[in-house]
Amino acid sequence: MKLTVIAWRNVWRRKRRTLITGFSIGFGVMLAVTFTGTGDYMYTNMINSSATMGLGHITVAARGYNDTPTLDKRLDGVAELRQTLQSNPSTTQVVIRIMGQAMFASAIKTVGGVFIAVDPAQESENVNEMLKSIIEGKIFTSSSGRGVVVGQRMAERLKLKLGKKLVYTTTDIHGEIVSAIARVSGIYKTGINEVDGHIVLLPLNRVRKILQYGDDEAGLVAVMIRDQRYTDSVQQQLLASVGRPEREVLSWRQTQSDLAGLITIDRSSNYITQLLVGLLIAAGILNTLLMSVLERTREFGIMIAVGMSPATLFRLVMAESFWMALIGLLLGILLTAPWFYYMSTVGIDFSSSIGNEYTASGVLIDPVIKIRLFKESVAVILLAVFTLTMVSGLYPAWRAGRVVPVESIKTI
Amino acid sequence: MPEAIAESVSARETIVKLDHVSRIYLQGQIEVKAVDDLSLDVSKGDFAVLCGPSGSGKTTLLNMIGGLDIPTSGRILLEARELSQLGRSELSRMRRDRIGFVFQSYNLIPVMTAYENAEFVLKLQGVSEKECHDRVMNVLKEVGLEGLEHRRPDEMSGGQQQRVAIARAIVTHPAIVLADEPTANVDSATADALLDLMQELNEIEHATFLFSTHDQRVMDRAKRIIRLRDGKLESDTTQG
Repeated sequence: MKLTVIAWRNVWRRKRRTLITGFSIGFGVMLAVTFTGTGDYMYTNMINSSATMGLGHITVAARGYNDTPTLDKRLDGVAELRQTLQSNPSTTQVVIRIMGQAMFASAIKTVGGVFIAVDPAQESENVNEMLKSIIEGKIFTSSSGRGVVVGQRMAERLKLKLGKKLVYTTTDIHGEIVSAIARVSGIYKTGINEVDGHIVLLPLNRVRKILQYGDDEAGLVAVMIRDQRYTDSVQQQLLASVGRPEREVLSWRQTQSDLAGLITIDRSSNYITQLLVGLLIAAGILNTLLMSVLERTREFGIMIAVGMSPATLFRLVMAESFWMALIGLLLGILLTAPWFYYMSTVGIDFSSSIGNEYTASGVLIDPVIKIRLFKESVAVILLAVFTLTMVSGLYPAWRAGRVVPVESIKTI
Repeated sequence: MPEAIAESVSARETIVKLDHVSRIYLQGQIEVKAVDDLSLDVSKGDFAVLCGPSGSGKTTLLNMIGGLDIPTSGRILLEARELSQLGRSELSRMRRDRIGFVFQSYNLIPVMTAYENAEFVLKLQGVSEKECHDRVMNVLKEVGLEGLEHRRPDEMSGGQQQRVAIARAIVTHPAIVLADEPTANVDSATADALLDLMQELNEIEHATFLFSTHDQRVMDRAKRIIRLRDGKLESDTTQG
């Protein structure tokens, strides 16, 4: 009779206890899925949302631009660069942009802000949050025209409406102050006050001309990739294909360090919480397994007396832990499946408590919290719960192996 | 076998040799001599009984012969190997291969059937599936449990469980079967049947038995009676 079969039967000697332990492991799986899943969902949303604010998941810019983003730092040969970047299978969209600071004035008022000069032919809602959030009008059609898209908050402050004039003033590559007139073609509302009150979309070619950029020059190239989890590897690939001494290929972690820091802290506290919950559950499993070993001391004494080696006895109890882990994981999957389905499709709406415009690090947070679980997260959860259960079995197994037959059975 | 621990026992006959064996326990500050300078041989084919009042050292002696306890002084040799010189795993192998145990309260493994309990030690020995099956079926037939092999301990009477325990003890053809009060927990009729069985195994298969008992019926059937008192050998008699 195989050890695993004996272990399986031993596990079911006390059905109620096994089920309670199994459900506690299953509950651990559910908690881990919830914690990890909300993290996977929220972080992905935040990163993707942040990437559409101008810099993409990966940014190619002139060296030093990220540290001191001035308009004289620019890339040359951006059309070819864009083509090369687009040829990488991991990239979904590559857009050429110029970003800088400017003063925006209407007939009534002047405010400071940031412009993003874009080519409407390259842009889409997937790569541009402002474009996605247009509530009036539309984006300018010509890259050389006089159109401008402003945020609702700025429009309110400058008393702007569609078709109204707006003057923007900035400095060109030589440091000379330059101005241009534009007409409002669209108004957007992202819900983020800092964005809606400060960011203005301008036509790329017109800005090039005003700033005295060459036709093939730009401030940066923003790259969107299929899956933000692979940012680092794609960054390395792009670095290999387009890296030059005068260029930098930067990930969102480098260009959005506030967001990266926030996610790191949140993820770390998430891990600590999970670890503590895991330890609590492990203590429960340890208690159950130890109890099951201690109440069978006499039986183990008999097994050793008739010739079972302590090492085999250790393996027997570890095999029981193995079955316990599998039962727990199975129950965990059964418990978690309906919860996961609900949370991934419906989620929990927190808008009544945090509102619809809750932001963190300049990124709009979806008030409906959902779960999204990456394949690797599933593997980590299953492996962690399995390992935790097996580790919990080590001490009881060691105790079983240390049983002294003459003491445990008192008499042969 | 290392020369130092090998002993030239009169090998053909002697299975167990005890040489000035003592076992001292500490009860608080007080030393208790459970076995006191005892020398004894058990020969192949013996059907011997250890008897004596409670506390005379019967159980301690059986524990030491079975390698479950070690003497404070003196030597115990099982088939010429000194038990105290063996490591834990060697001792496990020795118990597995050369000693059969029958316990007072059966002590079968509750999750296993009669067949699996009898098969248990053979599996530990790594005996092949087919040989296991043949030997287990034979031994179950010998102990009168044919047809009950799929029953678990809780589905059997005390007598049937003790038969399984005997089957488990003899299925490996051990050098000696150590039985502690094997009839203590069964009724008279069952006790007689069990004794018949063990006597038969002794006579037909020349299995060596060493019992510890208070039961007069066991003593009546024994070929040899070893009386202990206060851990010392009081008498060692052979009866027809």
